[in-house]
Amino acid sequence: MATATVSTLSATFGTHCAISHNPKSQFSQPFNLNRFPSPSHSHSSNLTFSPRLPLSPLPKSTESALAQTQTQTLSPDPQSPNWEPGLFAVVMIGSRQYIVHPGRWIVVQRLKGANVNDKIALHKVLLVGTDTSCYIGQPIVTNAVVYATVEEQGLDPKVIVFKYKKKKHYRRTIGHRQPNTRLRINSIMGYENYPKVTMDDLNLDDTQSEDSQS
Amino acid sequence: MNKGKIFKLAKGFRGRAKNCIRIARERVEKALQYSYRDRRNKKRDMRSLWIQRINAGTRLHGVNYGNFMHGLMKENIQLNRKVLSEISMHEPYSFKSLVDISRNTFPGNKNVVIPPRKVAI
Repeated sequence: MATATVSTLSATFGTHCAISHNPKSQFSQPFNLNRFPSPSHSHSSNLTFSPRLPLSPLPKSTESALAQTQTQTLSPDPQSPNWEPGLFAVVMIGSRQYIVHPGRWIVVQRLKGANVNDKIALHKVLLVGTDTSCYIGQPIVTNAVVYATVEEQGLDPKVIVFKYKKKKHYRRTIGHRQPNTRLRINSIMGYENYPKVTMDDLNLDDTQSEDSQS
Repeated sequence: MNKGKIFKLAKGFRGRAKNCIRIARERVEKALQYSYRDRRNKKRDMRSLWIQRINAGTRLHGVNYGNFMHGLMKENIQLNRKVLSEISMHEPYSFKSLVDISRNTFPGNKNVVIPPRKVAI
């Protein structure tokens, strides 16, 4: 299922693993994947993504919004998600923004007071996008919620903080592990009624359409 | 820290710096100092990279970075540069809609030169 087009999203921000985009149609298809070379892997660790391969089965959640799925414990095809294709959202957690896809996990700063297997609703949704349309929030998409589950409350890999002043006989060595929380994103909901921008709204003139078809 | 830890941190160093403790210790200390400094520099570098990418993405649509960000700030769109650079790479149509919004809000200066499209001979 995972194709060879490794997205630079993960390379930029992934400390753990690389994701690979399924080839998407229309809206979300990057028109020129080779234009931006993959950046070096030493860059920031603000954002991590789970691999597309171990796609979690449809969550058997107890939320009222998904009440109708409780009657069927397993969808007929566990690989086909019940959300729109190419759905993603930009959500703000702990004053950092993350691009979020349903079914994947992200690592954020430690959420105090959240225990493992807690359901979390994230309301600061700044942008929701699908294959065909885009809901741009000003600043947030009202009534949009991202539901997530706390998977693990762990620690970042250790960094050694080494302070040294030359010729002054001063050196300090401290190890530091920053607490983090891993969230599994269950679903993105509530954005349907927000004003959106669809493919027809963009004035695609001839030069643009040439690029998009290359 | 003892020698074992020094040598573990000195893997991949050049020449005697990975094998001989006296040299390795100096080099490892320097490496740790650099990593302390660069953990702060990395944030600056990444922001600069994001801005370059956003600039490149918006100039494809005839808007430069400054005017684009000004238009977004006017519209109270609070996406940060990291996310904007990712969208400009992977979601081109969403990015175009953002550029259109910004351009409608702030048409900007008229001096942006879109480089002429190079035609293969």
